[in-house]
Amino acid sequence: MNTNNEIVSLTNIIKNYDNGKVITKALQGIDLKIYQGDFSVMMGPSGCGKSTLLNIIGALDRATSGSVIFNGKDFNSLTNKELSIIRRNQIGFVFQNYNLLPVLTAYENAEYVLMLQNIPLSQRKEKVMNLFKEMELEGLENRLPRELSGGQQQRVAIARAVVTNPLLVLADEITANVDSKTAQSLLMLMEKLNKNNNITFLFSTHDPIVKKFARKVILLKDGRIDKEELSSENI
Amino acid sequence: MFSIVIGTGIPIFFVCIAWGFYAGLIDDVARLMSGHITYEHVEYRNSPSNDLWVDDIQKIDQTLNNNSEILTTKQIVNLQGVAHTAKGSVGISLMGVEPEKEIIISFLPENIIEGKYLSKGDERWVVVGQKLAKNLNIDIGKKFVFTTNNVDGELTEELFRVKGVFKTGSKEIDGHFVQSDIGIARKVAGLSNDDVSQLGIIVKNPDNHENFIKDLQKSVAKNSGVFLSWQKIMPDVATTIRMDRTAISSFMIMLVVIVLFTMFSTILMSALERKREFASLLALGAQQIELKIQIFLETIFFGLIACPLGALLGISLAKWVEGYDMMDVVGGKTEDMTVGGFGMDTIITPLFSLPLILQISIFFFFAVQLLSILPIYLISRISITDELRSA
Repeated sequence: MNTNNEIVSLTNIIKNYDNGKVITKALQGIDLKIYQGDFSVMMGPSGCGKSTLLNIIGALDRATSGSVIFNGKDFNSLTNKELSIIRRNQIGFVFQNYNLLPVLTAYENAEYVLMLQNIPLSQRKEKVMNLFKEMELEGLENRLPRELSGGQQQRVAIARAVVTNPLLVLADEITANVDSKTAQSLLMLMEKLNKNNNITFLFSTHDPIVKKFARKVILLKDGRIDKEELSSENI
Repeated sequence: MFSIVIGTGIPIFFVCIAWGFYAGLIDDVARLMSGHITYEHVEYRNSPSNDLWVDDIQKIDQTLNNNSEILTTKQIVNLQGVAHTAKGSVGISLMGVEPEKEIIISFLPENIIEGKYLSKGDERWVVVGQKLAKNLNIDIGKKFVFTTNNVDGELTEELFRVKGVFKTGSKEIDGHFVQSDIGIARKVAGLSNDDVSQLGIIVKNPDNHENFIKDLQKSVAKNSGVFLSWQKIMPDVATTIRMDRTAISSFMIMLVVIVLFTMFSTILMSALERKREFASLLALGAQQIELKIQIFLETIFFGLIACPLGALLGISLAKWVEGYDMMDVVGGKTEDMTVGGFGMDTIITPLFSLPLILQISIFFFFAVQLLSILPIYLISRISITDELRSA
């Protein structure tokens, strides 16, 4: 469902980690474009820079050099506060370990980002409940994360990521802690959200199941893009 | 929150107990001797001799009893002299009092262990301390001769009979103190019904009487009379209490430091445990300032809940131990517990001073707010990617 609207444009991204003794080159000149409606996956061996790239695209980290243009805005020219506003309003995150707030219920976890956006209570309730219905989370609203299975927690994490209708959802190894059946159902759910709500997804994974669902596969090796291929099966 | 409750509760418990001991001691001693405030001859403090008295006392007494700040007064005639029996002689202090008032004011009538306490108009009857009775070999109904000098400086003698024997736990009082009716004391001293050695004043608020004394001095005192606080009348007791309070305060400071350190560790641990949570919130788009405000409000909320709960805990604990004898806990003899020569009541009687409890609670409330600076500082240094990667 690519509409050719460019959301992310990366040009010659370099990221080095300097611990004072050794400089580790995590990314060595990445050029990448992500379009609205993409359902893309980044793959590659451990340490190839997938998570680092995801963090830079998600404004969680800054590149050592190169430019990140997100929805027309250059991250290099934005303050940390402006980057946090972009994360709040335009980017959703799904983490490997879910990172749900342990003291909040499933409903409250999903509602939290809407609260940050100052959405009125009635609208928040409507949005969260509609989404929970769509994602088959009904009946779990009042449960704390520890009372949910891994798959259910990841569904709540996805709900939290998409409840604001973000331009882009970044998903880092989201199938790593669930069984293959649950992984399959999570990916089907995200595919549905991609098709129905036109939400762009970018995955970072080792899991071949994710690759099956992807329409574009980006292969990373030693901090560089080794190959970009389109999956004719899913286009 | 638990650490704040405990941290606030323990000092409040100790302060209630310690300050209760002092308040009880001061009140007991003041009521036994010459009140929280004493009216006496201006020279009496320098040399408490029998020929220094204050006059016009009935009028002054009536004026004082009409004052709303004063609970009651006690007229006293003090005579220093020697008590003789066949066994020997002992230097004593005879205090002539109004027995019907003394029963209400002082704890001495309750401490009679043999015989009875005095009644109004008892001629030549006295109550003596247990140790004095032993030293003079006297018992109920037995007599002794009291030699002293009257207000004219002439030697005079009077025969007294023992009506009761008391035991206070103080070596000084039990060994050298005698009480009689004020009528016979006046007669021995050669004083009129309008003269006393001291007029003791029992006030409602013993802690705050400096300004009150100044007012009394201006409005009531005669040329030769002066109003003095119990601290000036019993400087040894005041000094001992001051020293003891300093020691307790030092202990309290150490206790507070330990409590604050424990709170600091708890808050530090909880902040470190929540770093991942803070990182998640920042990743979701929360701004640092929003998280800082959140932590600040959380700390205020916890402080508002935990500090009153801590105060309640301290008060409840103090209430729980009320009435127990401290000697049962620490061991030793009640007789050994003296302050400035006066026996201490070892029964635990806490003082629930609202201003003091509020001060301690408010101190811990603000201390907790200060300690919350640490997690606020940690947030400003948090690396979202590091925290989420380590999750």
